[in-house]
Amino acid sequence: MKKVEKKDLQQINSFTWEIPKSYRPDMLVPARIYALEELVDAITGDRSLDQLVNVATLPGIVKASMVMPDVHQGYGFPIGGVAATRYPDGVISPGGIGYDINCGVRLLISELNYDQVKSRLEDLSKELYKQIPSGLGQGGSLQLTTNEIDQVLRKGAAWAVEQGMGTEEDLLHAESQARLEAADPSKVSPQAKKRGSDQLGTIGAGNHFVEVDRVEAIFDEAAAEAYGLQLNQMVILIHTGSRGLGHQTATDYLRTMMGAMSKYDIQPADRELACVPLSSPEGQDYFHAMCAAANFAWCNRQVITEEARRAWSNIFGRAGGKLHVLYDVAHNIAKIEEHQLNGERSKVIVHRKGATRAFGPGFAELPAAYQPVGQPVLIPGSMGTASYVLRGTKTSMKTSFGSSCHGAGRRLSRRAAKRQVDAGSLLKKLRHKGIYVQAGSHRGVTEEAPIAYKDVDLVVETVHQADIARKVARLRPACVIKG
Amino acid sequence: MHQYRFIPHTADISIEVEADTLEELFLASLLGMNQILKEDFCLHAPNPSAEQDVSIRSVDNTTLLVDFLSAVLTHTYLEKTMFCRIDFSALNANYVEATIKGVPVDFFEDDIKAVTYHGAEVNRNKDGSWSTAIIFDI
Repeated sequence: MKKVEKKDLQQINSFTWEIPKSYRPDMLVPARIYALEELVDAITGDRSLDQLVNVATLPGIVKASMVMPDVHQGYGFPIGGVAATRYPDGVISPGGIGYDINCGVRLLISELNYDQVKSRLEDLSKELYKQIPSGLGQGGSLQLTTNEIDQVLRKGAAWAVEQGMGTEEDLLHAESQARLEAADPSKVSPQAKKRGSDQLGTIGAGNHFVEVDRVEAIFDEAAAEAYGLQLNQMVILIHTGSRGLGHQTATDYLRTMMGAMSKYDIQPADRELACVPLSSPEGQDYFHAMCAAANFAWCNRQVITEEARRAWSNIFGRAGGKLHVLYDVAHNIAKIEEHQLNGERSKVIVHRKGATRAFGPGFAELPAAYQPVGQPVLIPGSMGTASYVLRGTKTSMKTSFGSSCHGAGRRLSRRAAKRQVDAGSLLKKLRHKGIYVQAGSHRGVTEEAPIAYKDVDLVVETVHQADIARKVARLRPACVIKG
Repeated sequence: MHQYRFIPHTADISIEVEADTLEELFLASLLGMNQILKEDFCLHAPNPSAEQDVSIRSVDNTTLLVDFLSAVLTHTYLEKTMFCRIDFSALNANYVEATIKGVPVDFFEDDIKAVTYHGAEVNRNKDGSWSTAIIFDI
């Protein structure tokens, strides 16, 4: 199959490109790319746009298959992808969500500023590393019974709050209030539950992390004030998902769909795009299981929040004040949402695979203080560069199914990064920049080195200029905890 | 003869596998996966002390291989065991029945989220050998 080249893209404006429906006969909609021109060469350098064209062939897809500027090649769906299908008979595809169901980001804000913590940053990084289990095969301190797992799958982060780990206010400051009601624990396999039984409160490995940042710049005073952000304030960013429970759930249902597709006469362009109509029994089972796994991920980030609070309190005592949840977003998920289609409000199944919901002002689910400015959109960068807080817009609701980017996006393979980076030198360099890294392995450090990622500033600049999410604040890392 | 080699992939890990027989293709793919989980472990693994029975039916031999590796990966995590050996009872285009044998370990060096179907295609080559690519989500 021919590879999409830059010459195949039609430039719509300085930040939007399209591959027309005529590019391949099996495309049902055009494919849209959000990227400044500086990013396009890198994007056409791998197979991510071929994957985007494949997504444009999914039965029931509407408007366009889309990728955000942090796009890179995935397996089936490109990472950074957004695809909406008709409700209820359009397809749902586990590949459009990913194996790490509800991988996402939560931002905690503190009552201390950089000057108040700078002499204790090394101690803080060690204490966070001690309190928050990370790395491979690292179980947490909670060992859940099957009944408890079922409750977590049904209630999401609310389960942790019921156990004294957090407050009701934490729940209000999260996408979907950290719980999807459609969750059905009986649709999650015993193997998946067993894998998750000791993983609540753990970040795992790979690109997951807990990071202490300082607010380095404010771009939007009104939104920053609404979110409670101030210059030089210390904040904590948590990036992880549903761990083995989610991985197993996705694996289980991809296999189910692989066998079921022929019943619905579906032959995807790529096996990993296996899908069935949402309204089918297999589609319903997967959707209810996926929602349950998403709830597990929200509960995981809630328990980690409590671990971070414990570490913060152990270092700063009462003078440290409280850590408040600013917001929590999912970036691997499918949701049934209402969007404007052909001039009418219509329900669609929005797949976000490495993309963040970015709903604009006035969205009823948001806390009252956030309503005038829109939903917080959290964009983690790589360690050593920067992360961003953005806000959702009305434009995103019209153009990208209320979605934005989710990170910097990988540029180098893990092996290439390992070949190019020496862990010792990198750690020294980061330390020189005032960043304390606690990591379980040198391998984890080199694979996630800043050089492996795209320029997060350019990625964020794209969505800002496209007005699908607007810059609110930039965060500079001070401590990084990795598996 | 069987062998695997790593090939570049932006976000994940991809291997190409070649073997004289379908059984060896399954084994080489497993060894490639294990190389990610714990480098060189299977080269020097002690005698197996744990085993699990696996039987899988799939729509074709490519899905069968991916489903088989996924099943082994699940056992790997649940039993915290590296399975380096496969004793086949049956293997055809859409069915495998085997006993996997391995050694319990304390930790893994990398985390494989899943074995993906993307890019996998089990091929019978002109010389009778078998080959495929496999991408692991990391």
